Amino acid sequence: MSGSIVDSVPVASRRSFWTRRRLNTVGKYVLVYGLGLVFVLFSTLPLLWGVTTALKMPGEVYAFPPTWIPKAVTFENFIAVINNKTLIRAFFNTLLIASATTIVALIVGVLGGYGFSRYRIPGRTALLWSVLLTKLFPRVVVIVPFFVTLRNLQIMNTYQGLILVYLMVTFPVAIWLLKGFFDKIPVEIEDAAIVDGCSLPQLLLLVVLPMARPALIAVAMYSFILAWNEFLFALVFTNGLERRPLSVALAFFIDENGIRWGELMAASVIMSLPAILVFTLAQRMLVRGLSDGAVKG
Amino acid sequence: MVSDTDATGMTAGAAVSRRMATRLTRARRTGRRRWSAGYLLIAPAILLIALMMIYPVVQTFYFSFNRVQLPALRTTFVGFDNFLRILRDPDTGPLFRRTLVWVLGGVALRIALGLGAALVFNAKVRGTVWMRILVILPWAIPSVVGANLWRWIVQTDVGVLNQTLRNWGLGAWALNWLGSPDTAMWTVIVAYAWGGFPFVMLLILARLQGLPEEINEAATVDGANWWQIFRYITLPSLAGVLTVALILEIVSGINSFDTLMIMTGGGPANATMIWGIKIYKTGFTEFNLGGAAALSVLMFAGTLAVFVIYGLANTRMRTRQEEAL
Repeated sequence: MSGSIVDSVPVASRRSFWTRRRLNTVGKYVLVYGLGLVFVLFSTLPLLWGVTTALKMPGEVYAFPPTWIPKAVTFENFIAVINNKTLIRAFFNTLLIASATTIVALIVGVLGGYGFSRYRIPGRTALLWSVLLTKLFPRVVVIVPFFVTLRNLQIMNTYQGLILVYLMVTFPVAIWLLKGFFDKIPVEIEDAAIVDGCSLPQLLLLVVLPMARPALIAVAMYSFILAWNEFLFALVFTNGLERRPLSVALAFFIDENGIRWGELMAASVIMSLPAILVFTLAQRMLVRGLSDGAVKG
Repeated sequence: MVSDTDATGMTAGAAVSRRMATRLTRARRTGRRRWSAGYLLIAPAILLIALMMIYPVVQTFYFSFNRVQLPALRTTFVGFDNFLRILRDPDTGPLFRRTLVWVLGGVALRIALGLGAALVFNAKVRGTVWMRILVILPWAIPSVVGANLWRWIVQTDVGVLNQTLRNWGLGAWALNWLGSPDTAMWTVIVAYAWGGFPFVMLLILARLQGLPEEINEAATVDGANWWQIFRYITLPSLAGVLTVALILEIVSGINSFDTLMIMTGGGPANATMIWGIKIYKTGFTEFNLGGAAALSVLMFAGTLAVFVIYGLANTRMRTRQEEAL
């Protein structure tokens, strides 16, 4: 269609179209770089300020006028964070909870995803949808019933309790993502293995899991980051310093002298590292998964 | 579930017979594998659903009609008392309005910024990939970190925003951003939009890059200016992804807790108290679990309404499209 239009335009005006277009290209560069830079500044200036604050001496943190590049770079704040027993405790709490959530989500996800993908059991569709429905539950709405459940199970303020509630957010995603992946793997390989006398556990461990590696990595990253960053459940279901994760520790980072912003920013930098790492690796994959699910749902 | 006989009713064709063939092999396979093993595999998932979805829903409804006393969680049936109390509370109206401002303001800002950034970075200009990566960063960091960062930036006396304004001689603009009821809500909304707009950008960008470029070129040749191209070509083809972004953002707006809780905790003078924070405060600082459950039921109904409206709009749009064909 576009070809026929170009052919019907007289030659002279076509040439002026191309000159106009070259001018447009220069304008386009200026416009895109200019506007792009505005967005870049909006996104990164706050982050930059946090990082410089973390690298400043206590005196310079409150300096007027504010300095964007520290006069003297110091790692004092980071050292203070590492020597802060409460924060280190919180850091290892978070590491433990996030790792355990990831492992359990992978197990539940692989079993469930494989079961839903390969077995046409009665009630399959209804069950699959109720799995998805759990994900759609607003988190703020379930804090009261989860609180009661955890109390009845006597796992308030324990690692198990937090792992269980995080699982509620991660397992639906794990099952749907892995089911979708298993659906695309041809069954013939598994059938051949079954004919050769492979048992179900052998089939899962030796045949299915090695093929599902990309999906397993995606589920693991999603679960880990969710558990690492989560704040609301961590706030409601823990009390005291003993089991408190990093997110809650940073939210209430205050002592008798008020907030030491240099240290808080240093701790924030440390807390952000795993998330930034995973997100840069996975942004494409995650967004595709999210939009697919949302469009189909 | 669709049975095999459905397919025979359709028009004959290679595709259908192929589909039937796969369905038949799948049926044969199913015969070979026993159901019991299938149930065994999904047993953990079923257990989780029962424990953490069915039980909580029942529990919340039950609690919302009871007065619940800690520590033993002893319940006394009070009928609609919890709901009536919420309705009669003079603060419920403002609470609802603030929640609406929060959700609509946050969603509008996130989508406007996300759409703008997507349009800019969709332009095929060399050397913008690094820009795109930098723009995504706020979405990658934990919400707790983002909230603390903004709390630090907008500090009244020592925050970099006010210090810079004072340095530029604009001291009159250096407001008490989080401490004054007039500015607190919008300050937090900006921080919230900052952390979420890259996600909207990525969603829209993914759709934009799937669009054929020939149409735009043809329109340019026909003499359309950039606004006409945007209004009559780009925007209509983004309708789907924008609806998805809208729904996702509305739900996450209703759900949001972290940024508000850390930056203001609902204050000053309840200026940033929205429904979700109210549930938390009622349940876990006033220890009124019955009241919190009633608030939860109402909020869940609200979220459900958003989904229903979305579903209705979706089917209506689809039927209109079919009629147009």
